Amino acid sequence: MNPVIELKNLKKYYGDIKGIERVSFKINAGEIYGFIGPNGAGKSTTIRTIMGLINKTSGSILINGEEINHDNKQIKEMFGYLPSEIHLYDDMKVKNLFDYHASFYQKDCFSRRKELVKLLKIDENKKIEDLSLGNLKKVGIVLALMHSPKIVILDEPTSGLDPIMQKVFHDILLKEKENGTTILYSSHVLSEVANICDKIGFIKDGIIIKEDTIENIKKYNYTYLQISSKDIKKIKDDLKLEVVSETNEKIIFINNLEINELIKKLSKYNIDELLIEEIPLEDLFLKYYK
Amino acid sequence: MIKREFKVNFKSFVIWLAVLVVIFLVVYIIYPYIITDETMKSIDEMMTIFPEEILKAFNMDMTSISTAYGWFKSEGFTFILLIIGVYSSLLGTNILLKEEDDETIEYLSSLPIKRSKIVTSKVVSGISYIIIMILLFGLFNYISLLISGSFNQKEFFLLSLTPIFVSVPLFAISLFISSFFHNSKRVIGISLGFVFISYIINVLSELSDKVKFLKYFSIYSLANVRNVIETCSFNWLMVVISFVITALFILLTYVSFNKKEFD
Repeated sequence: MNPVIELKNLKKYYGDIKGIERVSFKINAGEIYGFIGPNGAGKSTTIRTIMGLINKTSGSILINGEEINHDNKQIKEMFGYLPSEIHLYDDMKVKNLFDYHASFYQKDCFSRRKELVKLLKIDENKKIEDLSLGNLKKVGIVLALMHSPKIVILDEPTSGLDPIMQKVFHDILLKEKENGTTILYSSHVLSEVANICDKIGFIKDGIIIKEDTIENIKKYNYTYLQISSKDIKKIKDDLKLEVVSETNEKIIFINNLEINELIKKLSKYNIDELLIEEIPLEDLFLKYYK
Repeated sequence: MIKREFKVNFKSFVIWLAVLVVIFLVVYIIYPYIITDETMKSIDEMMTIFPEEILKAFNMDMTSISTAYGWFKSEGFTFILLIIGVYSSLLGTNILLKEEDDETIEYLSSLPIKRSKIVTSKVVSGISYIIIMILLFGLFNYISLLISGSFNQKEFFLLSLTPIFVSVPLFAISLFISSFFHNSKRVIGISLGFVFISYIINVLSELSDKVKFLKYFSIYSLANVRNVIETCSFNWLMVVISFVITALFILLTYVSFNKKEFD
């Protein structure tokens, strides 16, 4: 079975300036794909290319195995999109915008809209221009989901949402996933997506540098290894690990050695203090960007 | 979508129409008081000072401004062509770019509609407003002129429709120019410059036979007001050219907008 979304060596240049160089990933039906990278890494360029806002330079964007046609109404009906900065028609009331939005889809959006409005606690009688950033984002979430799309593209969706609403939003996404919706979730905060994503792709300088399941990423045997000893120099030469910080008698490594191998190596030295602790996902993420 | 387009552009339509109506209403009200036999005599004397070419440029060689209708055909019509031309040009510039100015194009592009449908709804709304403005303003002038005296109704009817042949192509040209930009502020100057330069070229082309060729470089020559006044009919060749220019630039806008990147 074809993946729902497949990007093959997607490249976008603005003249001579690189947007993205080589972006490839696959997302299967019912998967949530975390698209992680710092600002300027190419996340939004990738998403805007998928959405047809900008034209790719080369590569492929396949939807259910077929090259995307941005002018195909049926294909576009499959998508729900929440941009990182949402701009809507200021002169409209929220309820009128929802009606307007629904008028473009050949399905009844009302019950899903009602459900989402209730969950996100949206006042439909307010004018768009009177909404706070958080409330505008909530309206954007309803617009992205009210037509029950098969594919949802989210670009930094939680910016502006308070922690309670972030939780509500993630619960909504998990329910969407249960219903078979395929979700691309872009963020620069790994811990934000770690609990809901099946797979994570790390993008740096327009290239996907690492892709794995969240379980595997957590399984990587990276730990902080803190050693206090008079043999610091010898230990450092022997272990050949990446050093985080170092003083005369204390050193912190990023350790990826298997525990028995580590103990075996350290047994040769006189150790005053040994501390091994799990690397938080955020630090792991930063490690990729060094 | 078209319904929304009509709603969005309604306010500016009302303002521009109101400006035209107020200017002309003031003239129609004060005209009988300022144009008396005495003042007309001195105006006629003054007219003899102007070279014939200048009078031709404002159609004042063919008509007397002793009546409100005479003023309407000469100076008044210059206002109409310019003001509706500027409105059409600004409308063409803003109608698509407004979505980029307000950054709503990202939302609009995510909807299941073809880009060509976006252009179509803007074009239909824009051209409709231009034509409605010309018709409503024509109706206002008709009623006002009926009150002020008798006039050639067929000639008035044809003259009133003439701005369509200039304004609609101006709208289409501005729309096309705007499709290459991302911000209306940068295009407004170009579009308005095009309107005024085009008008000046048309005026210059009337000054002498040596520079008559200039009319081929002015969109205002499509109005061909002299022909309407002289023959009481349209120059159908100009009408066809107006239609072809409009169709061509709208078609080019579709092509350009379909390729446009929204970054």
